[in-house]
Amino acid sequence: MAEDQARRVRIWDPALRAFHWLLALLVVANWLLGKFGPNIMTLHFWLGYSIVALLAFRLIWGIIGPESARFSSLFHHPRSVTGYLRDMVKREPSHWPGHNPLGALAVIAMLLVLIWQVGTGLIADPEDFVNVGPLANKVGSDIATKADAWHALGADLILIFVLMHIAAILFYRIWKNEDLIRPMLTGWKWVRRR
Amino acid sequence: MRLISLTAIAAITAFPLFAHADDRIEDALEARHGYMTMLAINMGTLAGMAKGEIEYDEAAASTAGANIEALGNYAVSDLFIEGTANGEVDDSDALPAIWENPDDFVQKFADLGEAAAGAGEAVKGGQANVGPVVQKLGGTCKVCHDDYRKKD
Ligand code: HEC
Ligand code: HEM
Repeated sequence: MAEDQARRVRIWDPALRAFHWLLALLVVANWLLGKFGPNIMTLHFWLGYSIVALLAFRLIWGIIGPESARFSSLFHHPRSVTGYLRDMVKREPSHWPGHNPLGALAVIAMLLVLIWQVGTGLIADPEDFVNVGPLANKVGSDIATKADAWHALGADLILIFVLMHIAAILFYRIWKNEDLIRPMLTGWKWVRRR
Repeated sequence: MRLISLTAIAAITAFPLFAHADDRIEDALEARHGYMTMLAINMGTLAGMAKGEIEYDEAAASTAGANIEALGNYAVSDLFIEGTANGEVDDSDALPAIWENPDDFVQKFADLGEAAAGAGEAVKGGQANVGPVVQKLGGTCKVCHDDYRKKD
């Protein structure tokens, strides 16, 4: 029975937590700047570069960071995903140590769409001669103008992912009675070893 | 029989009308694409000078500015005739929203014209004077493209 007891464990390291909240803040801010910001998008570009730096950090942290930040703990066997899905509707906390198999998929998807977003932004040419991505002239005007459309598509995907992310957090909070926000603030989470 | 011949006559008499309509549409598309390309060429000159990719040349800058000024006075919205929206004809990125908000569309061209007024003079006197003109003009390109041009 002792094995079934949940323990409070320091699961998210400080760097990862700082990364998470900075990323959340900057992505939301840059999304809003993209849609509703000034016509001269200087600030959008600078926040975009900061997001590039954050993503670079995350990729490095996924290789050299602590266990729960490692990519190795992001990739689960498909069977553990379906297994997790089966139990997910149970009205009890998951007490999962780190990224659960489904949440890990969401993390991978969000990182990929953000990499897509900064990549297309850097090469986008909206043909207005002011808000041209710094690398647009490296890829040729055909790709650069297409990248502008891909960037707008990426923005829609990001909106969907962010809403799904928040919905999942609410689902855990309300349905499963598990607070996932506090662990991302303090680092401490109630977990059960598996 | 009567119906068939009537249809045939109708079709034959209508044919030149269709053909005519087609010309009008093709001309409008070609003209407005050419118009935008001319804007882009001259903006390219100014933006290149502003960034230092093209060496500043007062006469060339002034010509580009004056060209944009002239284009800003052209009633280009008349080229956005019915039936030329994206989806209605090939090779049009003009969104249907143009025909739903004609006044706003015309206003956005007027904004370009206003930003372009005096551009030929404003870019004289040194490379540092080009950037602000490019920004002012470029902002009006973006505002209109955001609402009325399909990205692809
Ligand atoms: C009032 C609206 C409006 C303004 C202002 C405007 N554009 Fe456009 N532009 C359009 C629309 C609509 C299209 C798509 C036209 C089409 O495909 O039929 C377009 C298309 C273009 C294209 C592509 C042309 C092609 O061959 O497909 C370029 C390049 C362009 N604009 C450059 C500019 C530049 C540079 C400026 C500013 C100096 C500018 N535009 C200002 C509405 C505008
Ligand atoms: C995660 C980071 C980013 C987010 C969330 C984001 C979001 C957006 C959004 C919502 C738009 C408006 C799209 C639309 O018209 O619907 C936009 C436009 C744009 N962004 Fe980004 N962006 C990001 C990063 C970048 C980067 C790194 C750059 C380049 C350095 C960049 C350059 C641009 C450009 C050039 C446009 C086009 C403006 C136009 O078409 O008028 N973005 N972005």
